Amino acid sequence: MWRVVALFRVITLIYAAFLIVNEHSHYAHPAGGFIAIAVMALWTVVTVVAYSRPEGRKPWLIVTDVAVASALVMSTRWIDTVTRISHGSPTIPSTWACSAVLACAVAGGPWIGLTGAGVVSVADLVERQAFLPQSTFNSIVLLLIAGGVGGYVVRLGLQAEAAVDRAARSEAALAERERIARGIHDSVLQVLALVSRRGRELGGPAAELGILAAEQEAALRSLVSSPSTEPDADTGLVDVRGLIEPLANGRISVACPATAVYLPPAAARALGGAASAAVDNVLRHAGESARGWVLVEDEGQAVRVSIRDDGKGFDSDRLATAAATGRLGVSHSIVGRMREVGGTAVVTSTPGQGTEVELRAPEA
Amino acid sequence: MPPRPDHEGAAPTPVRILVVDDHPIWRDAAARSLDEAGYQIVGTAGNGAQAVRIAVATRPDVVLLDLNLPDMSGAEVTRRLLTELAGVRVLMLSASGERQDVLDAVTAGASGYLLKSAEVAELVDAVRSTAAGHAVFTPSLAGLVLGEYRRLAQSGQEPAPKSPAELPTLTERETEILRLVATGLTYPQIAARLTLSPRTVQNHVQNTLSKLQLHNKAQLVRYALEKGVDLGY
Repeated sequence: MWRVVALFRVITLIYAAFLIVNEHSHYAHPAGGFIAIAVMALWTVVTVVAYSRPEGRKPWLIVTDVAVASALVMSTRWIDTVTRISHGSPTIPSTWACSAVLACAVAGGPWIGLTGAGVVSVADLVERQAFLPQSTFNSIVLLLIAGGVGGYVVRLGLQAEAAVDRAARSEAALAERERIARGIHDSVLQVLALVSRRGRELGGPAAELGILAAEQEAALRSLVSSPSTEPDADTGLVDVRGLIEPLANGRISVACPATAVYLPPAAARALGGAASAAVDNVLRHAGESARGWVLVEDEGQAVRVSIRDDGKGFDSDRLATAAATGRLGVSHSIVGRMREVGGTAVVTSTPGQGTEVELRAPEA
Repeated sequence: MPPRPDHEGAAPTPVRILVVDDHPIWRDAAARSLDEAGYQIVGTAGNGAQAVRIAVATRPDVVLLDLNLPDMSGAEVTRRLLTELAGVRVLMLSASGERQDVLDAVTAGASGYLLKSAEVAELVDAVRSTAAGHAVFTPSLAGLVLGEYRRLAQSGQEPAPKSPAELPTLTERETEILRLVATGLTYPQIAARLTLSPRTVQNHVQNTLSKLQLHNKAQLVRYALEKGVDLGY
């Protein structure tokens, strides 16, 4: 912003010098015109250098800036002839005087800008001595606009910059917190994994500790890596992985793609519920030592979730019998859920060879 | 449990291993377990830069690499190790199993991935099979690889269809085998189910990974050529 003020000052200096050189033959004191150029040039150098650094933008310098501009405006009275002034000839510094007003606006906002504009305008009026030709009126209006609007725009710009700064800072803080959390989770997971391994090696009561550590390790890992179960803000779709991943524990392993697997909320809930029911069956009915594996696949048109266990299995005919005799467990919690959203569920099992459940939910 | 690799006869010279992990407790525990199992630990390192330096000096057969190192990503360390030391095999280990990080490391050239909660026997088996040049697939890695092929196939359709030759694809057999690995079947179990030899199953699994790694490398080279970067290949 200060660079703009400096640039404006230099350009208006050149313009003012050009006007003076052009008109000096008509002045009452031509030498005064050249002195004015020298003063303006000197003051331009002083302010451009001083304003370029924040510590140079002192209130007294800005007050002096306005005073110098006003003095030069009033010097017109002495340098130029009265006739020319009353016919509306430009003041000696002409537009250069406005750069002091801009400096006020940039430094102090709209009110200080307006005050600066007021002072320079009064100097202008004093110089004209109540003659108020159109050009003076225009230049006063322009000064007030420069002071007021310029200051206002600068304020807005600074506020926007501060807001962007604040946002960037809080974002960085959040990222840092996440980074630290990742490190902590990683360390805790390491220790849990180590405890569970050493515990199982040592056997006896240590093995129990090991099993506990393994359970916590699996739970924390799925908590840390599970995607959100909230619908996506733009599409309203739910990442199914967020519902399936938490099913992992010491006995259940979950395999998912690295990228999101989206489904409409109802289908995602049905798939998550059915998968959870299937995993429950593994844990409750497949046997103490049975392990289960869950695989989530995005097939483009549908999402497929396969659940397999290496447990004792059962005779597939028993399912039909169970449904017929009113024991609705599997058919209701798995098959029914999937049908409601236009999906399918296939359960196959052979005694002694585990059970496989395949769920499919359409993506649209 | 990962697919058990076929046990081969004891090698005349012990397999040389570099253990890289920033957690000293874990690093020492892993080194001790592998030492007890008859492997030669040629060094340990606590960060990626150190790992590359020590690997160049000690020329290990297998680098056991923690996915979360303080200075660079697992994928980056893997790339550097493979550039500096042709033929080295990288086995990734991680505690948290961040999916994208695992996938990146594996497509960058790591031959396999294990969770740190794996039992000692699993770790020893995994190192043996990595040293023999086999891919170590856990069910969760198989799920990631399946997902990555699907993602590539979909990205090929969307904005500007790429020629199918540019995109790696899975054969029906490979998809079938990966799905079985992902649902926890071991190679011998898969072999029995599909009436193939365990060796054939192993080769199919290996292929799925090689194609992804080749694609990743081709993409890197093309990207580098477009940007005018000297890769040092």
